[in-house]
Amino acid sequence: MASQLSFTGFAWKNLWRRRLRTLLTLGGIAMAIGAFVGLVGFSRSFEHEWLRMYLSSGTDIAVVQQTFLNTSVNESAGATLKALPTVAQATPMILNLMDLSPEVNALAYGWKADSYEFDSLTLTSGSRFRDGQPEVMLGDLLAENMKKKPGDALEIQGSNFTVAGIYHGGSALEAGAVIMPLDQMQKLGSIEGKVTAFHVRLRPAPMGEAADHYLARAQAEIEAALPGLRAVPAAERAGNNQLVLLAHAAAWGTSGIALLIGILGIANTMAMSVFEQTREIGILRALGWKRWRILALIELEAAVLGLIGGVIGIAVGWGSLRLLATLPQTASIVSASFPLLLLAEALGIAVLAGLVAGFIPAWRGAHLSPVEALRHD
Amino acid sequence: MTEPILQVHDLRKSYDEGRIEALRGVDLAIHAGEFLAISGPSGSGKSTLLQLLGGLDTPTSGEVRFRNDRLGSAIGLDEYRSKNVGFIFQSFHLMPTLRVLDNVQVPMLAMSPKPPKRAERALTLLREMGLEHRLRQYPNELSAGERQRVAIARALANEPEILLADEPTGNLDSANSARIMDILTGIQKQRGMTLIVVTHENEIAHAAARQIRLRDGRIEA
Repeated sequence: MASQLSFTGFAWKNLWRRRLRTLLTLGGIAMAIGAFVGLVGFSRSFEHEWLRMYLSSGTDIAVVQQTFLNTSVNESAGATLKALPTVAQATPMILNLMDLSPEVNALAYGWKADSYEFDSLTLTSGSRFRDGQPEVMLGDLLAENMKKKPGDALEIQGSNFTVAGIYHGGSALEAGAVIMPLDQMQKLGSIEGKVTAFHVRLRPAPMGEAADHYLARAQAEIEAALPGLRAVPAAERAGNNQLVLLAHAAAWGTSGIALLIGILGIANTMAMSVFEQTREIGILRALGWKRWRILALIELEAAVLGLIGGVIGIAVGWGSLRLLATLPQTASIVSASFPLLLLAEALGIAVLAGLVAGFIPAWRGAHLSPVEALRHD
Repeated sequence: MTEPILQVHDLRKSYDEGRIEALRGVDLAIHAGEFLAISGPSGSGKSTLLQLLGGLDTPTSGEVRFRNDRLGSAIGLDEYRSKNVGFIFQSFHLMPTLRVLDNVQVPMLAMSPKPPKRAERALTLLREMGLEHRLRQYPNELSAGERQRVAIARALANEPEILLADEPTGNLDSANSARIMDILTGIQKQRGMTLIVVTHENEIAHAAARQIRLRDGRIEA
């Protein structure tokens, strides 16, 4: 049985017969998509872990200043918060990033020993720290990376602490973190009387009141009681805090540059390909191929390059994410989860990059005069 | 006498903003089933005339009519080239990335809708050309004579009424030249096709039923 030539088969054969150039281009687009998947996956994973942390602790609202990183709320605001009718619990907390060793940096939380946020953690060894004591608790991932156990000493920013206990947390942000008494963290940062935020658990919504409406009412109540502060729903804060926004911006910025380089790579390949195939394009035109069909053929070749490069890039990016999830430097802020949406986006971007990069060469090829093209050497 | 399949009126073609006049007013009628040879010295305009007859280019002035339809207006050039004419070139112009069987199928991809049994048709044509043992070769693995036979099979793929050959034996030795001309004249007779051959070889020109000679862009009397 003789094999039938199809339009797609024709495009594929053009790429296959120029294997070296095709492979080099695939390498370029794969690196670009790999960078996209790795970086954007990293930042999304970071956001996802924030959300998981809020959900597992049962926090409904975070009370902060206008910004997240530099927020500095008076600890005394806690009394006002606790007195509000919608508030069940309000606990102060401090968040920071700290170098624990030259290789390991981790999120550091300052909590009260009686904070409700301990409810979502499981103590695996040792005990909870005591307020006023130079003690810390380590997430199991961090403890493993630093090879620490209860009773060991740990120096943080020039101060000596004792590891009181090891806990397991549902989120990588908790599993890779260190938690110390709020007062100790205030002392380390010389910010006595100040906290980063209050995390608030609301009382159950009254019968007949929708959850969204109740949440909005609680926000308004808190902001009215504490002028100058913002009451932010947990889900919104997971995606909109400055650390996550910064990670998103860095990821999109860096992968955007990588994508641009990838697009230029495909554009260069397709421009070279059109130039080298000028005579063949002339032959196709002489055989009655319409301009749009030539354009479609070149665009199809570019899209196939994008698609295959995208698939390879996804594998590269996914591998990078898995690697980051195991490295001590990054394990505390990334998990190896892989959202399907990111895969679809990466493939879409790869194919679109191919089409965009291929368009000008395709347009040029389609508008060659058959006679001129046939004369081309 | 049959109706002319192609009619040419006062055909002119100039290049380089009119500084080079390749054709200077050609009038010609070609009948269906005719074997016409166009000869003349280099630069006389014979290839330009063939290109205009095949709808590869547009004239500066004058017109070419196919069955009384003006090319480029009443009938689109792409459509005309895909359905009504088959080209054979001196340098074969096969697609280097495709095997022989695929090369013959390329013109069929220009048809809308595409013919369903493209491979079978290509196979039949290649058998006619004695190339059934070369189906999976690439053009660079064939001899010059074999390449030209693939090109002839390709030119016949969409069953055109007109076959246009520009120096079809120009790159061939005498044995292969004779074989190619036998094939072309055989096709013309068996299928009743119109065959127009541009050549500078007298032997080929004399084999045609009619020959015209161009000089300086005009038909010599």
